[in-house]
Amino acid sequence: MSKPPLSGIRVADFCWAWAGPYGALQLAHLGAEVIRIESTTRMCPSRLIPPWAENERGINRAGYFNQYNQGKRSITLNLKKPEGVEIAKRLVAKSDIVMENFAAGVMDKMGLGYEALRAVKPDIIMASLSGYGATGPEKEYVSYGPPQVALSGMSSLTGYPGGPPMQAGFSYGDPNGGVHGTFAILCALIHRQRTGEGQYIDLSQREACAMLLPEALMDFVMNGTQPPRMGNRDPYMAPHGVFRCRGEDRWVSLAVRDEAEWHRFCAVIGQRELASDPRFATLAARKENEEELERIVTHWTQQHTAEEVTQQLQQAGIPAYPSLDGRDMLANPHVSARGFFVELEHPEVGIRRHLGIPWKMSRTPCEVRRPAPCLGQDTDYVLQEIVGLDPRDIAALREKEVLL
Amino acid sequence: MPAGALTGLRILECGEMVAAAYAAKLMADMGAEVIKVEPPRIGDAARSRGPFPGRLPHPEKSGLFLYLNTNKRGITLDLTHPQGQEIFHRLVAHTDVLIHNCHPTQMAAYGLDYERFARLNPGLIMTSITPFGLSGPHKDYQATDLTLWNAGGLCYLNGGGPGSEDLPPLKPFGQQAGFQAGVHAAVASLGAFFARLQDGSGQHIDFSIQECLMGISEFAGIMPTYANQVVVRFTGNKAIRPLDIMECKDGWIYLCCVEEHQWQSFVDLMGNPEWASEPIFATRLHRAENWDALQVLLEPWVKEQSVYDLYHKAQARRIPFAPVSTMGDILASEHLRVRGFFAAIAHPVAGTFTYPTAPYHFSRTPWTLRRPAPCLGQHNAEVYGALGFSAQEIAQFQRDGII
Repeated sequence: MSKPPLSGIRVADFCWAWAGPYGALQLAHLGAEVIRIESTTRMCPSRLIPPWAENERGINRAGYFNQYNQGKRSITLNLKKPEGVEIAKRLVAKSDIVMENFAAGVMDKMGLGYEALRAVKPDIIMASLSGYGATGPEKEYVSYGPPQVALSGMSSLTGYPGGPPMQAGFSYGDPNGGVHGTFAILCALIHRQRTGEGQYIDLSQREACAMLLPEALMDFVMNGTQPPRMGNRDPYMAPHGVFRCRGEDRWVSLAVRDEAEWHRFCAVIGQRELASDPRFATLAARKENEEELERIVTHWTQQHTAEEVTQQLQQAGIPAYPSLDGRDMLANPHVSARGFFVELEHPEVGIRRHLGIPWKMSRTPCEVRRPAPCLGQDTDYVLQEIVGLDPRDIAALREKEVLL
Repeated sequence: MPAGALTGLRILECGEMVAAAYAAKLMADMGAEVIKVEPPRIGDAARSRGPFPGRLPHPEKSGLFLYLNTNKRGITLDLTHPQGQEIFHRLVAHTDVLIHNCHPTQMAAYGLDYERFARLNPGLIMTSITPFGLSGPHKDYQATDLTLWNAGGLCYLNGGGPGSEDLPPLKPFGQQAGFQAGVHAAVASLGAFFARLQDGSGQHIDFSIQECLMGISEFAGIMPTYANQVVVRFTGNKAIRPLDIMECKDGWIYLCCVEEHQWQSFVDLMGNPEWASEPIFATRLHRAENWDALQVLLEPWVKEQSVYDLYHKAQARRIPFAPVSTMGDILASEHLRVRGFFAAIAHPVAGTFTYPTAPYHFSRTPWTLRRPAPCLGQHNAEVYGALGFSAQEIAQFQRDGII
């Protein structure tokens, strides 16, 4: 067994909120040493929002932070003080990657722009993940994950047939922007490994979201129209949807991909005659009569649990899965058997189930090695062992409110 | 032309639809040499999905396929045929990363066997993107993008809303499970490639789409463990408001006031209506609790505005509103034009269209276009020739239906 793939790679992580921390989480998953630079003067919003463990408010008790910052270290550094900026630069000088997701220009104003950081570490890789990107007429515009989904075009395409545009995910633009940032950083890291050159990456989260819509964008480019909102339906499959099951607010998703599956589906629901019913005998006919088709499917699914429907359809080789809620997800026997969950002892919230790493590597296993950090827990370690300060310097900085 | 960050990285892709194709596209666009393997005659299923110009299906004109396969070379090969598998071994021997999204139940039939490949090429990284991973009780379950979005706990979070309890959980537009799997699997693959740069050894990556989606489930995966609560549809259940889509006179806008100063600026922008000083709207939590009352007060005012006027006015006051962009808006965006987000790409059969390029600018190794998406089997002669097969052999493979 070898060490994880990014062992020995250090990340100075100035990210906050969600997009950046999600991207940096992937680097931590790959084994990089990710050091979050935090400050009580500018607290990460994800430490300040519920849920907190047992509803007891506390910056180290926030579920959001503790999920998306697993495996990282945390230091506190007051970047409003020049000494704080100086320490940040000294940490960057010992790092391979700088990642940040402030609004465009904020790092520059703090004296931590790419040129300043390159001066202390010529081969540094710096990635800025902003809503709009660092250039363009709207670069100063403010952006959050939820409106980005609308801005990217995804909301105008999402919704029930004939209904208004709707939100997709809650803040889907954030993890999507974050992980595209991780991809870009890895490209730059490979380039640096082979050439010795660092570089600057300017990522726009709204553009990362627009990357996910080619079917609609290309339709507009080719035909001048955009596809109508079609709920859970699909132009090439029917039935294709999420159907009510027995129980309170229980649903199952299913999709019939071709004629052979349609015939098997009719057999499973005990209505073989439907397969040759002219209203449903072909995909075109099923699309034509989709509302009626969905009523028939619902009539069947309502009599069963989502798990029963899933089992019966899967036995016939037809895609189906319950629409999992959070509790189902954390109790899911399949991912549990695969060892997906992480349960490490956290000093303030104890052992809790967190979501883990979605890949398994055969030779360089990736694992979450430590729970999300308490605020500033690694300040002394990082300043002594990595930046190279002695304890007296650290005490003096603390006195001057540089390590807040 | 500057070299891409991944120049020289050799990728073999057996991709169907989105997941593996998007992973390989991201890498191809950054300079990797990608060979896409498609089944003879029918090709990748994305070729038959469209959109198509004039809505006329044509295997070389699918907008989805054209987008997902820029900068790749394409070959055909029948992986169910023993000789096809032998040829595939020759390809594998010259590959750094093999990335596929064949279903686990098909992998044996296609001969996708890491142990065997590793004997031919110990440096090989093989990334298997599968719906539920390669182990566990559901590994052989069938899936589509829709069922995976549900299996990952994401679908349950959207749709419905107050008074609409009969509406089912709602999927987002398109093939989002495929795209998330693609970009995350590209991250894992490059991580493994970076490890190989240190010691030359390859490995097998077992990538689960379901787990990937659970990992972006926002509050859903956290609420049960931290607060013993379940998140139901966001539409009607938000801790902070406004975080909502509302109709203007000429379209839709996303209203977003997370911070107090944003709300205050919005109230000011609306001309400080009297109701805004009611205590029931005092904080973001109050505004969420009393959203029913607030919504009917906001709606008539918003309905009088035009989307882009309100957007720019709000942004001028640092309020993070956003238009609910249509595809026309995106393609007409001056901001995106200035950033060079779109480029015209000429394809020999489909013609010239505008495509999205990349969501990032690299200072040294920018996105470049080297070639449009391949026609079915376009690079057979070139690729098989480079493997050492003669023109006669290649012609024979073709006659035998292997390529």
